[in-house]
Amino acid sequence: MIHRGEDVIIRTIARMLIPFIQLYALYVIMHGHYSPGGGFQGGVILGASLVLLLLTYGYHDARSRISEKIMIIFSSLGVLIYAGIGFLCLLLLGNFLDYSMLSRILHVDAAHARSLGILGVEIGVGFAVMAVMVSIFLDISTGGVLPGDEEEKEKQVPVSEV
Amino acid sequence: MEKFFLAVALGICFLVLLVLYRVVFGPGVFNRVAAISAVGTKTLIILLIVGFLYRRVDMFVDISIVYALLNFIGCIAVAKYLEMEQ
Repeated sequence: MIHRGEDVIIRTIARMLIPFIQLYALYVIMHGHYSPGGGFQGGVILGASLVLLLLTYGYHDARSRISEKIMIIFSSLGVLIYAGIGFLCLLLLGNFLDYSMLSRILHVDAAHARSLGILGVEIGVGFAVMAVMVSIFLDISTGGVLPGDEEEKEKQVPVSEV
Repeated sequence: MEKFFLAVALGICFLVLLVLYRVVFGPGVFNRVAAISAVGTKTLIILLIVGFLYRRVDMFVDISIVYALLNFIGCIAVAKYLEMEQ
């Protein structure tokens, strides 16, 4: 499924659609307070746009943008943002994820601090969900062995023998 | 106007049942893929009509856009999979 497609129509449509899908995903994340959506749903849409890129252009062409390492870094970064905001509230003598304590750092009133804190947490959730979606797709579609991994392993074997 | 929208929604639900016959008994995989795609578009319209009935169209438009996007991507994924099988 991951090989490069030759269909001009699908490639052109995907190239035109992917930026708008990503823009819509950012809208869903940022507008999660007022409309259905939030971090998880926006992350799923963002991941779906990257899955579309992988489907149409193949792993070899998309590798410079979407590699397994970057996805691992992004998923860890998302969890770090979520837990970091929670523990920041803990350090400011509040409960875990008690956003109103952030008002001491941000110099705004408590309600505004809650809004900003929830936004930060949702951005973290969006990062994590997007990275895990793409990672699961890569693992399922290649059976766990990515096309580039075999070449790297062959290169590394002589080094380990020396 | 609400009764009209309700009637349209029920009619589209009946059409979904007709298309489901193609999904279950349809000869070959390609009939099934096309039928599932048709069910997806009908579901999108039903979602919009439900939004009209609840007077919250602005919310349901968001949901239906996401539904259309995922329907499109899923259709392409199934087509790629079938291309690989051959």
